[in-house]
Amino acid sequence: MNALCEDNKKKLVPCLLEMGDLLLDCGAEISRVEDTLQRVGQAYGAVRIDVFAIPSLIVLNAVFPDQSVETQSRRIRSNGSIDFYRLEKLNAVSRRCCADPMPIGELEEALRKVSAGQKPGWRFLLGSMIGAGAFAVFFGGTVWDGLGAAAAALFICFLQKALGRTELNQVAANLLISLTAGLLVGGLTVLFPVLHMDMILIGDIMLLIPGLAMTNAIRNMLIGDTVSGVVRLAESLIWAIALAGGFMVAMLLLQRLGVAA
Amino acid sequence: MKHEIILLITAFVSVFGFSLLYGLRRRYLFAAALGGLLTVAVYILSDHLLQENFLPYLIASAFAALFAELLAHLLKCPAILFLTPSILPLVPGGSLYYTMSHAVHGEMQAAMESGQTTAEAALSIAAGISIVLAARQLGTKKKGTA
Repeated sequence: MNALCEDNKKKLVPCLLEMGDLLLDCGAEISRVEDTLQRVGQAYGAVRIDVFAIPSLIVLNAVFPDQSVETQSRRIRSNGSIDFYRLEKLNAVSRRCCADPMPIGELEEALRKVSAGQKPGWRFLLGSMIGAGAFAVFFGGTVWDGLGAAAAALFICFLQKALGRTELNQVAANLLISLTAGLLVGGLTVLFPVLHMDMILIGDIMLLIPGLAMTNAIRNMLIGDTVSGVVRLAESLIWAIALAGGFMVAMLLLQRLGVAA
Repeated sequence: MKHEIILLITAFVSVFGFSLLYGLRRRYLFAAALGGLLTVAVYILSDHLLQENFLPYLIASAFAALFAELLAHLLKCPAILFLTPSILPLVPGGSLYYTMSHAVHGEMQAAMESGQTTAEAALSIAAGISIVLAARQLGTKKKGTA
């Protein structure tokens, strides 16, 4: 396809980078990001696309039929959260582009729409409460523990939302969230002695993810995205330590106060 | 038996909750939650038959990956939509918690042990998923070749 005029060539690469940025931000796998950008780029007439993506960076090189080359990179800042709502929309956009490339202006518009779209907030709250509550029971807690975990999940959600609006980095945010959540749950168990602090915390820990992140990191390494795997593994270990640190301080404080065993 | 039924029900509910939290489309929610339930069922079964630590996680996560690939193929959407929620009940949240709880109480030996359990589980889950992925790649032709 030689429909690529100068203007489109200039716009294609930033557009692809925007798409990759959004994909990584939704929690897409590295291999999917690289694969998608390559396919879409080729659908728009590039003869060769080289993409290298890691969780914090995308480098993209496009070669066009007239041998001109465009290379750009983008620094990615994602906090490892998962958003299937936008991921699915992006998938639909990329499928449509590969089947029949829309004008590049339309693609820009479609990406802008995806970027602005938000999954409904109530789903986030309700999902966290159901998820954490059920996991507390799954790991051996009573129904009361489940309810306690759901209550604490509500608190964690609000805190996550509030901290997400600030510049606070992910490590410090995890530390702060786990510290306050630990104190809150400790307080709850004092007020309601039927509750088990450990079971509630295990349920709520699932919201703060390092287990899943660790699994994803190892999977990256096993399928050949070694650099991404190493980066993610280091990241998830540090997050886990931050979480553990916050909970530890909470437990020690409660112990000092003579509240928890 | 009662314990197993509680596990299956709570796995279903928690995966449903997390799928909601991840913003999964409404008509996929039930399928994802079912994936979580079946994954736990496979885990319980293989754990019962094998009496071993590593393999049951691997088998269960490989099952979850197969289930996700199948649904993705049928519904024409990325497999990760079903894979991520389905493997959640396998994720070693419990042992991760006990690792640090033991550490807080100064029981380093016990902390090391549960730390090892956590790492082993993460490794075997990842291995199970990777096997299925490799099998799929084996059936796909290389890009650029006709």
